[in-house]
Amino acid sequence: MLWKDNYELGVPEIDAQHKELFRRVESFLQVLRSEDSWEKRVPKLNETLEFMKKYVVEHFRDEEEYQKSINYPGYEAHKQRHMGMVNYVQEVSRRYEQSNNNEDLMQEFGGRLLSWLINHVAAEDQLIAEYAKKKG
Amino acid sequence: MVHKLYKEFVDATQKVFNLMLNISDISEHPAEDFKCEDEVDIAVGVVGDLQGKVIYRFPVSTSLNMVNIMSGMEFDAVDIFVASAISEIANIISGNVMMALSGKNIVCDILPPEQCKLDGDDGEYEIATSCCIHTTIGKICLEIRLNRAA
Repeated sequence: MLWKDNYELGVPEIDAQHKELFRRVESFLQVLRSEDSWEKRVPKLNETLEFMKKYVVEHFRDEEEYQKSINYPGYEAHKQRHMGMVNYVQEVSRRYEQSNNNEDLMQEFGGRLLSWLINHVAAEDQLIAEYAKKKG
Repeated sequence: MVHKLYKEFVDATQKVFNLMLNISDISEHPAEDFKCEDEVDIAVGVVGDLQGKVIYRFPVSTSLNMVNIMSGMEFDAVDIFVASAISEIANIISGNVMMALSGKNIVCDILPPEQCKLDGDDGEYEIATSCCIHTTIGKICLEIRLNRAA
């Protein structure tokens, strides 16, 4: 399982979105790493990539709204990190389309996404939870 | 300065291993402890008040263990996916160090990580130090090669 209980922030709406994000990324990685031919994997990967492009933006927006609602002091820096990831997903997606579904590009994206997501939720998002708890 | 930087990198590695991989048993040792013939080397360039690079030397077994823990899947060889996941970890550790340094009025930025071939001595560096970090899933070697901006 990609999701670990210690990633929970204690904010039900954000935790539910994180779990959904992890579930989708896990399913994406399983298809990406399966032994089926690349041609067979492409439709499912493309479908997940399209979902991710939309869902990541929605989730980041909701998370930023929550940060604003609690006056989180790291809001601007956190927003910059979200924007960096959104730009990266869009850039990879564009290059992937242009390359006619190049596998190496998607493997590189999968590896980076795995580390980025875990660090973002296990480390950076936890700072929001710590601040909210301290604030009461 | 050398000691301050060295400590920031060790602390950041410890923090990232703890939070991302749930590994807290980490200790630092002299670089001579690091002996590895089969490794993934990732260079992260540094620009700003300090200029140069930091090279992260991950043995293949350490790399695979890290990705196996994060993904919950079984990886048995370093491929594009594994190298990319490991590169991002080097990027995250370096980013944390730059953040810590900015609080001490040392302002630097990092360049995207690149897989590299370790070169012995690629120039003169004012700050040149290395260390070996032991963890329960393997060792890592950090090579810090930096100059203060003129």
